[in-house]
Amino acid sequence: MRLNRFEKRKSREGGNDEAVVYRDRASYALDAQLASLAAAGDDSAFTTLVTRFQPAVFRWALIFAHDPDEAEDITQEVFVRAHRRLADYRSDGSLDAWLYRITRRTATQLRRTRRRRGRLVMSPAAQPQRDVYTTDPGARVDRQRAAEVIHHLFTGLPQRQREIFDLVDLQGLSPAEAAERTGMKPVSVRTNLFKARKTIRDGLLATHPAYGELSR
Amino acid sequence: MNCRECLAELSTASLREMQPDSAVMQHCATCADCASLTTRLRELEYNSASALNNLLPLTSPVGLAETSATLSRRRRVGRLVVTMSGIIGAIIIAVVASTMMVPQTIWNGITGSVSASELRTETITLTCLSPEQAGEIISPYVRSHGSVYYTPTAGLSVITVRGTAREIQRSRDLLADLEGDPGAACHNPADADVADMKRRADEDAARPELAGTDVRPTPAPMPAPRPKLAPTGH
Repeated sequence: MRLNRFEKRKSREGGNDEAVVYRDRASYALDAQLASLAAAGDDSAFTTLVTRFQPAVFRWALIFAHDPDEAEDITQEVFVRAHRRLADYRSDGSLDAWLYRITRRTATQLRRTRRRRGRLVMSPAAQPQRDVYTTDPGARVDRQRAAEVIHHLFTGLPQRQREIFDLVDLQGLSPAEAAERTGMKPVSVRTNLFKARKTIRDGLLATHPAYGELSR
Repeated sequence: MNCRECLAELSTASLREMQPDSAVMQHCATCADCASLTTRLRELEYNSASALNNLLPLTSPVGLAETSATLSRRRRVGRLVVTMSGIIGAIIIAVVASTMMVPQTIWNGITGSVSASELRTETITLTCLSPEQAGEIISPYVRSHGSVYYTPTAGLSVITVRGTAREIQRSRDLLADLEGDPGAACHNPADADVADMKRRADEDAARPELAGTDVRPTPAPMPAPRPKLAPTGH
C-alpha cells in the first residue's frame, strides 16, 4: 500500500529508497495474486484484500464525503463494485489506482443520488433514532475531529481541488502521479493545486502584518 | 526576499519541496512573522494529514468483505434476472407481433384494406355542383375500408372526403372535370332556363302550324277610313 507523505519522508531520511521500491513491487505482486484468487471465487482472498485496502479506501472516501459516515457508505459500495468487477482488473496496473478510480466514481454517483434524495433526508422520519457511537466515545471524538478537519480545510473548495490537494499535499503524491491517478492533465493538476493552496492558506496568511501590501 | 515576496511564495508553493537553503527559508530565518506563519502552515497540513490518516473505519474488514461479497452476488443475480426478463419480454413482443400484426398486414395486402394512418382527409370546394350531387358522383370511387365522404348540413358548397391519397386525387379530378365543363347543367341554372325559353319560342315561331295546335288567328287588318266628300252644287 502507498505510504503517506510523512512516512515517505522518514524512509527517505533513513536512505531506504530501494527498500521502498522493492516493497512496492512485492505488494503489487501480492495484490495481483489476491485479486486473481478473489476473482476466481476465493472468499478468503477477497477478505484479505479488503483488510489490506479498507483503510486506504476509507481515507480516499473521506475527501469526497462530507463526514466519516458518508465515507463508510462509499467504502462499502466500493468493495461491492470491486467484487463484481474483479475479473476486469488487469494485473499490470496497480490495484490501489484501480480502487481509487472506483472510489472516485462511486463517491460522485452517491453524491448525485443523495442530492436527489435530499428532501427525504431532511424529513424528521429519516433522522436516526439513536446515537451510533455511544458505545465508542473515542471513535466518536476522532470522527468529530476528522469532520472538523474536512470542514475546515475543504469547505468552499470544488471537488477536484480538494482531491488534488489531498493527493499531493496530504498524501504526498507528485503532481504527475496525481494526474495519472485522476486521469487529469498535469497542467490541470497544477492549476487546481495552486488554487486549492491559495484558498486554504489565504486565511492564515492574512494574519501576517505585511499581508495588506500583498493583497493590494 | 522581503515579507511580501515570501507571502506570495507561501500562498501557492509546496511546503514539502521547500529546501532549507531556499530563499523562503532563508528569509524565515531572519523574519519572525514569516517563520511563525510557515511553521503554522506546516502544522496545519501535518495535523490535517494525521487526522485523516489516523481515522480508521468502524466496520470490521471481515464483516465488510462478507457484506460486499453477498451484495455483489445478489446484484449479479438481480442483473441476471433483469436481463432474462428483458429477453423474455422481447421474445413475447416478437411472438405477438409475428402472430397478430404481421398476418394482419398480409391480410390487408390481400384485401386491399388500408390502415388508418394511410387515410387522409381533405375538403373540396364546389362551385357548381351541390354537395349531394358531388357525393353521388364520387361515391363509387371512395370504396376502401374506412373511406367516407361528408356533405355539410349548413348549406356550404364543399364536400369532405376521407380516403387514401389516390381516392382523394381521383375525386378531386372528377369533380374538377364536371365543374369545369361549361355545358354542364349546373352552371347558372336561372340564366339557362331563360335562354332555353327564348330558344324554344324562336323555334316555335319558325315552325309551320301543326294541326291541333292551339294557334290564335291573326286579326284582319282594319280598312282605312273613307274620306268625306265635299258637297256639290247640283
